[in-house]
Amino acid sequence: MENLSKEMFVIKGKNIEKMETISRPSLSFWQDAWRRFRKNKAAFAGMCILLAYILLAIFAPMLSKYGFSTMDATNQHAAPSLEHWFGTDATGRDQWVRTWMGARVSLSIGLFAATINMCVGAVIGGLCGYYGGKLDMIMMRIVDILYGIPSLIITILVMLVLGKGVAPLIVAMCVVGWIGTCRFVRGEVYRLKEQDFVMAAKVLGVSDFVIIIKHIIPNIVGMLVTNLCLAIPGAIFQEAFLSYIGLGIAPPRCSWGILAKEGIAYLRVHPHEVAIPAAVICTTMLALNLLGDGLRDAVDPKLRGTE
Amino acid sequence: MKKRFLALALAAAMIIATLASCSTPGSGGGSSEEGKVFRYAVNTEATTFDPTKGNSIGDNEIQHAITEGLTRNTGGEVTPGIAESWDISEDGTVYTFHLRDAKWSDGEPIKAQDFVYSWQRLVDPDVGSPYSWYLDTIGIKNASKVEAGEAKPEELGIKAIDDKTVEVTLDRPMEVLLSAIGMQTNLAPLRQDVVEEYGNEFAATADKNVYSGPFVLTSTENNVYVFEKNPEFWDADNIKLDKVEINYIEKPDTALAMYENGELDFVRLDNAVVENYKDNDDYGVYLNGNVDYCYINPNSDNPVWGNKDFRLALNFALNRVEYNQLANSGLYVPYNALCFPGLTGKDGKTYGESYNVDSYAYPIEGDIDKAKEHLEAAMKELNIKDPGDIEIEFVTTDAESNKKIAEVLQEQWQNALGIKVNIRQVTYADIYGEVFPKFDYEIGYAGWGPDFDDPTTYLNLFRSDVNWYTPYGNEKFDAKLDAAQAVTDDHNKRMDLLNEAEQILIEDGAWVPLQARNQSYLLSPKMKDVTFYSFSINIDWAYADVAE
Amino acid sequence: MTKYVIKRVIAAILTLWALVTIVFFLVRLMPGEPFTNPKLTPQVIENMTKYYGFDKPLIVQYFHYLGNLLHGDFGFSMKYTNKTVNYIIGQTFPFSADLGIRALCLAISFGLILGILAARKRGTKIDFFCVIVAIIGTSIPDFIMGALLQYFFGIKWGLLPVAQYKGIEYTILPATALAFYTLASVSRIMRASMLEVTTQDYIKTARSKGLTEARITVRHQIRNAIMPVMTILGPTVASVLTGTFVIESIFAIPGMGKYYVESVNNNDYSMILGMTLFYGIFLVTANLIVDILYGVADPRVRIGKR
Repeated sequence: MENLSKEMFVIKGKNIEKMETISRPSLSFWQDAWRRFRKNKAAFAGMCILLAYILLAIFAPMLSKYGFSTMDATNQHAAPSLEHWFGTDATGRDQWVRTWMGARVSLSIGLFAATINMCVGAVIGGLCGYYGGKLDMIMMRIVDILYGIPSLIITILVMLVLGKGVAPLIVAMCVVGWIGTCRFVRGEVYRLKEQDFVMAAKVLGVSDFVIIIKHIIPNIVGMLVTNLCLAIPGAIFQEAFLSYIGLGIAPPRCSWGILAKEGIAYLRVHPHEVAIPAAVICTTMLALNLLGDGLRDAVDPKLRGTE
Repeated sequence: MKKRFLALALAAAMIIATLASCSTPGSGGGSSEEGKVFRYAVNTEATTFDPTKGNSIGDNEIQHAITEGLTRNTGGEVTPGIAESWDISEDGTVYTFHLRDAKWSDGEPIKAQDFVYSWQRLVDPDVGSPYSWYLDTIGIKNASKVEAGEAKPEELGIKAIDDKTVEVTLDRPMEVLLSAIGMQTNLAPLRQDVVEEYGNEFAATADKNVYSGPFVLTSTENNVYVFEKNPEFWDADNIKLDKVEINYIEKPDTALAMYENGELDFVRLDNAVVENYKDNDDYGVYLNGNVDYCYINPNSDNPVWGNKDFRLALNFALNRVEYNQLANSGLYVPYNALCFPGLTGKDGKTYGESYNVDSYAYPIEGDIDKAKEHLEAAMKELNIKDPGDIEIEFVTTDAESNKKIAEVLQEQWQNALGIKVNIRQVTYADIYGEVFPKFDYEIGYAGWGPDFDDPTTYLNLFRSDVNWYTPYGNEKFDAKLDAAQAVTDDHNKRMDLLNEAEQILIEDGAWVPLQARNQSYLLSPKMKDVTFYSFSINIDWAYADVAE
Repeated sequence: MTKYVIKRVIAAILTLWALVTIVFFLVRLMPGEPFTNPKLTPQVIENMTKYYGFDKPLIVQYFHYLGNLLHGDFGFSMKYTNKTVNYIIGQTFPFSADLGIRALCLAISFGLILGILAARKRGTKIDFFCVIVAIIGTSIPDFIMGALLQYFFGIKWGLLPVAQYKGIEYTILPATALAFYTLASVSRIMRASMLEVTTQDYIKTARSKGLTEARITVRHQIRNAIMPVMTILGPTVASVLTGTFVIESIFAIPGMGKYYVESVNNNDYSMILGMTLFYGIFLVTANLIVDILYGVADPRVRIGKR
């Protein structure tokens, strides 16, 4: 250390020009997110699977020569073949068509129910968590009560008023479904608002609205997206459970839950009848999970710029 | 401090986990398997162990083993029970039963008064027994009046002449009385002192009851009902089994797996798996007496139902063989008439053997041309141009098997007739609590299990003065039933009249018959003398035996 | 702190009262009657209506019910005549609770371990494995998972008992089947939360202080990351402990789940109310505990400051 003398150093001065150059293109938050998302191969694959299923759900039933409710007494429980790609069920209906008809129901229920639940839950939970106080107290009591009421009763009542179908099912699921997200978001917001960066913003006189938009939401969006990707399978499962106990959509329409339920009775005899709907459900969930992880990583502000 | 709290909480969870793994609630320990044991599974839970309040085949099967009525009906063969012998009056309306020296499981003698108390309790409106209608259907005097609160229980047609004599009075002769008494366990004796001691909780658990039958119930805990031989039973010498265990297992698949593991000796098979087992030696089938069909509500808001031709069109359009193949894997018996074919018919033959149903009923494979003719006629009368304008609603419960039936019917009717069929699925509570009682339907899927071995158990449902399930009425049909009722001395003539009444219903398209249900099962080959029966009891093992 | 707890307890009691009231009137709106035997004649239904007091005005029935509740009496079941709801709960709850505790312990311990591992070894094979487990857990409906486990372990390979609940070996399959979904959720949330925490300043501080990685993970990361997991635990505990219809029915376990679903299907009013209230008590208590734990576990959330 002592050998170092001042003479050994030269003052080079500031390189004003270089300081101002932009080495990388300037990216907005969402541009950056998309850039990172594309790099994530697994997430991209997930998105492709999902898109493929959506396209199949739209077009496969239209293009097949079989109707989704056409029965065939001479062709019950047929194994998958060129004639029937996914085989036939107990009444000789083509499973390929039924699987994609079911996809329409299951995917729309999953998507809509989960999204609506998440939005409602996030807004209410966010408000409660951020403002706290009386509002929080009252809302939490209401949430507690709603939680205690068996969702089955509410589902039956809603189905009674609105009739059987996809829309009533979604409504029935949403009546109490938002509560989970609400509690979760409330907890998160509660935690975040005590953190230093929010404190700092507050001290600087930033309005509540801006704090929520700029500081709180980007911080919980990652968790919410993960949650949403768990909630979609949750909704699809709930539909399956309701079908399992006999409260689903009106026959002869079907969903993946109904197909799996019908198939499970034949597990020992005709395993393909449960294997195919189960596989489709699983791959959908896989796709959703990969997509969810990818999105989470892409939109997480703390991972911005890190690779 | 907080850290320690969290650590403690986590530790507590782990400790609970380890502790919990040491014992499970109600673990019975190894029951020493001694004597002859019969173990089987049922898929509906017993609703009660109170004989008065029993209201299902499952309840009745259990009671059949732990109670003994005046007579005992084993698979249709009526033998003396607590009554040693009986006399029947000339006109067939007064039965005098002479009781033997039989004892309750606690050693007390079984008296005539025990029967009187039991029957009165059954119809007493203050007891709220679900099966209180039964005494009226078998013609016991004043039963309906007591039930409606218009007469006192004491006025019911049963009297204890002395401790050992019971006199039963009917308001009409009843051929099936002795057989019905022997199988319907709501009519078993009851001990007033025991019932009153426990009040509402009578028979809630195995020890809150006394037993008159070949077995006593020793435990009902944890969905396993344990029966042990009753040493006080009058015919105990002929009872071979020492212990019976009924396991309530909801999923047929689960029960089947247990059977295959040797944990059960008898199991009912789900239709889905029958094809894998039907060639086995232990495979069997019994008719459970249920005839499934669709009720029609002719007074419905939809005018088509009042039209006979439309109702016939539905009936002719249905290919019942194909329907059965699709909806029930071809396992049930496709059926085109009302009365269960296994009923007793003429000359010791069954009802199905006595009459050639196919000669007068709807063709079993359907007749599309005839169906279309009837549809044309109906449309002409109702002024409908296009069959596509006809829209009907089919009601069923949300059970999986019912859903499939509804889908198949929908498909067949839509294809054959070009009409539109909608399916409305409702809960079990809704269909039997509101839809059928209030006639809030157009066509609804249901069925009927016989209450006793006589065609009237089905036919009475369609009488115009019986507004139950369907508001249907037809004077010609009522007249035929009344005529049959009037015949008391000639069994064959009475049967013919009842059969003619059934034919009237068929000509009028009063309902849509579908199938006679049966049940596939596996029974361990070592079991002997297990009896299957179609009326109120399906499996009867009171006198069964296990081969050494 | 004591004041806060008292306040919360009173609120909890009020919540339960509101719950009873709402459900009491709600069940009466359900279509159908509680007497659902296909063989009941109109006369019998009339007699039974009177017997159960349903002919009285609803408000009278309500106060009657509340009065009984104060004695802890849930009344008689309508389907299982002669049995009180208390008796049925007493008989079935131990099974559900036992199964639930096992499943929860499995789910939480393995879920946390998988989540933490996955987060620490992010992007490696271990992470991939953990994610796969989580995906399988969340992607197979429980009625399929239960049936598959039963089929392979119970029937095909004969390793474990097929059904019923008579000893420790009987509990493994149902507990695993029940735990899977929660396990997967816990591990996913834990992983996400761990990753979130990794970039926080206090972790950097800890690292720059020279703490070992293990110590950072245990003392700083996990403790902060566990928060979101705890939020979902309250309701999960209640629903898992009070039984799940599907698993119990597949494995023929005499638990509460079946009665719950069945009572709703049969309009068994007193059973629905009793079970709901019992469930409600559980839930409210669980939430209360979670709320208090929340304050204890997170050093920055001070209950007193509310």
